[in-house]
Amino acid sequence: MSYRPCGVYHQYYKQDHAWWQTKFVWGKMILLLFTVFYIIPQFAGMYLISIANVVGYTILSAIGVQLLIGYCGQVTLGHAAFLAMGAYTCTLLMLQLHIPYPIAMIMGGIVGGLWSVLFGLPSARVKGFYLIMTTMAAQFITVEFFITQYVSQIGGRGVAYSIPPGTVKIGPWMIKSDMDVYYVMVILVILCILVMANLLRSKVGRAWIAIRDNDIAAETMGVNIVFYKLLAFFVAGFFGGVAGAFWTSSLAAVSPEHFHFGWSLWLVGVILIGGVGSIHGIIYGAMFMTLIPEGLKFLIFVLTQNPFFVDLMPFLPLLLEKFLFVKEAAFGLAIVLFLIFEPNGISYRWWQIKNYFNLWPFSY
Amino acid sequence: MRIKMIVCVCFVLCFIASWAIGQEVKLGALQDTTGATSDVGKDEALGVREATQYFNDIGGINGKKIRLFQYDYGYRVPEAITTYKRFRDYDKVAMVLGWGTGDTEALSPTVNADKMPYLSSSFSGHLCDPKKTPYNFVYGTDYSTNARGAITYWFEEVWKKDPKWKELRDKGAKPKFVCFIDTASPYATAPIKAIKDQATILGFDIGPDNHVGLTALDTKSQVIAAKGFGANLVWHGNTTMSVSTALKDAYALGLGADHIINNWGFDENLPKLGGPASEGAIGLLGCALFIDEYPAKKRVLDYTKKLNPGVPLENRLIRTVQGWVKVGMAVEAMKRADKAGQLNGPGIKDAFETFKDWPGLKEYGGQLVTLTPTDHRYSSIVRVARVIKGKPQTVAELDMRAKFPDKWAAWLGY
Repeated sequence: MSYRPCGVYHQYYKQDHAWWQTKFVWGKMILLLFTVFYIIPQFAGMYLISIANVVGYTILSAIGVQLLIGYCGQVTLGHAAFLAMGAYTCTLLMLQLHIPYPIAMIMGGIVGGLWSVLFGLPSARVKGFYLIMTTMAAQFITVEFFITQYVSQIGGRGVAYSIPPGTVKIGPWMIKSDMDVYYVMVILVILCILVMANLLRSKVGRAWIAIRDNDIAAETMGVNIVFYKLLAFFVAGFFGGVAGAFWTSSLAAVSPEHFHFGWSLWLVGVILIGGVGSIHGIIYGAMFMTLIPEGLKFLIFVLTQNPFFVDLMPFLPLLLEKFLFVKEAAFGLAIVLFLIFEPNGISYRWWQIKNYFNLWPFSY
Repeated sequence: MRIKMIVCVCFVLCFIASWAIGQEVKLGALQDTTGATSDVGKDEALGVREATQYFNDIGGINGKKIRLFQYDYGYRVPEAITTYKRFRDYDKVAMVLGWGTGDTEALSPTVNADKMPYLSSSFSGHLCDPKKTPYNFVYGTDYSTNARGAITYWFEEVWKKDPKWKELRDKGAKPKFVCFIDTASPYATAPIKAIKDQATILGFDIGPDNHVGLTALDTKSQVIAAKGFGANLVWHGNTTMSVSTALKDAYALGLGADHIINNWGFDENLPKLGGPASEGAIGLLGCALFIDEYPAKKRVLDYTKKLNPGVPLENRLIRTVQGWVKVGMAVEAMKRADKAGQLNGPGIKDAFETFKDWPGLKEYGGQLVTLTPTDHRYSSIVRVARVIKGKPQTVAELDMRAKFPDKWAAWLGY
């Protein structure tokens, strides 16, 4: 039985706090790492790798949103602004000052974090819908005004520009192919999730959760809620800045259009679908929100290109542009159905499945 | 014996099928039929499909059928990227017909690394310098040349001649100029540096830019700001829906300025949406309007009726004809590459660069096309039109290379 978590008893706190507590979990995680670092790069093909990169970017972008909404109870609708700050900071540092990519990325994260703190300041006084409005202001002030009018004037390249080949490198390793980007993405996702997970089980994380559950009670218990709220904004902005820096380098281009309001909303959708207040939820939500549209795209191409279906239903090619509206509607419907039938998100379903197998075959 | 025969037939069928598949040329097309630029994107998507069908009907690429993979990415950059990569890695297309400036410029480093010819509906001047973007091509006069042409036309033909501006002219006043653009949109901002440079050359007084979103439904505050500056001329750099909103607000608030409009903001829909507010507006045309008379009109109409009978002809726009221009140019390049036995990325790029005064687009009201390994600007001719009695009509063609021969080379990639 020691291969499965059920019935495991710990003697020491160290064992109790270990990430991977049983040999079964060790095996599972090693298999996961083997899949991520070997099987996917070897066998997935470049198209799937590029989709994996978008999933990874969505995960990196949504980590901060999950922290703010899911763990600290601070609703944000302007997270793309912090991504944009990170992206432009990283790019300009590389292009203007020739700072190495890893340092530029960290600087992008720090600037994203500080910018986020600036717009988190109102959280000391307002919450709920009012906080939503202030974070929305962050989106429009940052992307539509600050970046397009001022930041993008640095170097005179205009609001959108490409990064010359060879600029993005880590030491001697040049990040140029989708495969290189994939490895960077995987490492960043693992690092960010490790940081976030460890923060959440520390004093800081407990303070955030206390604020989320009841900020007045938390304050009564001695939690400095202004400090911890601003810290949450900083950490969320830092993750956002890193995500923006990653995206820019993966694409070798930057533009305000990549950080529009729709992307901020999309990220909230990611954590709602994945599960609010769950790290797994970020990953499942990002996969859902990326893979479902890709799946629908695949279906559209099969239906409109395959001679068998076209012969069977000759109207299908004519549906090409009409079906695309159906695609948008189908995606919206999937989200609505999910929220109706699984309001706790995919991560809750995953938790149920895991529990079932943990107790299997004696679930009673 | 019977089984052997069945196996033989299957083998022959498989061979024929694989030969037929091998005789296909795959063409990827990114379209926006649901996103921020779908007001002009839907019609272009129809034109692309109808034109592809036509070229297939007359023999495709030297006998090889074109297989079109057309996809709406909703003007979402991440979806454009994954779709491009699907075209590249899964569908294995020979070349891509792109759409917006944001995604085309974002994908530019990738397409150059992949050696994938990319003919886009973004005519951004940044995409015309082969030193930076060797695999990017455009199928219309680039935005920067167009913008320079429009402001030059207005200065020479309206400011200097129109009685409306006589009083200011006689006072020796400088014309005042502002831009109405989505400042976060690479499409709208692409020609701004060029048009301001041209305004400086012509001696304009330039005011601050006014941010107007691509999906704007109210632009009164921007119009009031322009009125406060005393603008005589406004450049509209967005698409038709947003431009018509700005024209109506300018009309309602009595701005009194003239308007010059980029090519994606000027079409048959503008007078319909703008009404009297659009009268006299000056715009740029990449080819013939759908309602114009042009040599290929019968063909375009036939395929419109044949493939999309449900779309009323009165709703079709210049964008349909642009779709034909786009596919026509791509087909010509692929034919030349195929003849040279190089129907691949570098081969198609080289084929594009052999275009010298190519007249193929004249039948759609386009220009003679010349592309070289050092200059991917499609043409130096700027076609200027005005809304006259509720209908856009061509009023002039300016050759910017001939007008500014000493500056033309320096404007590359501007």
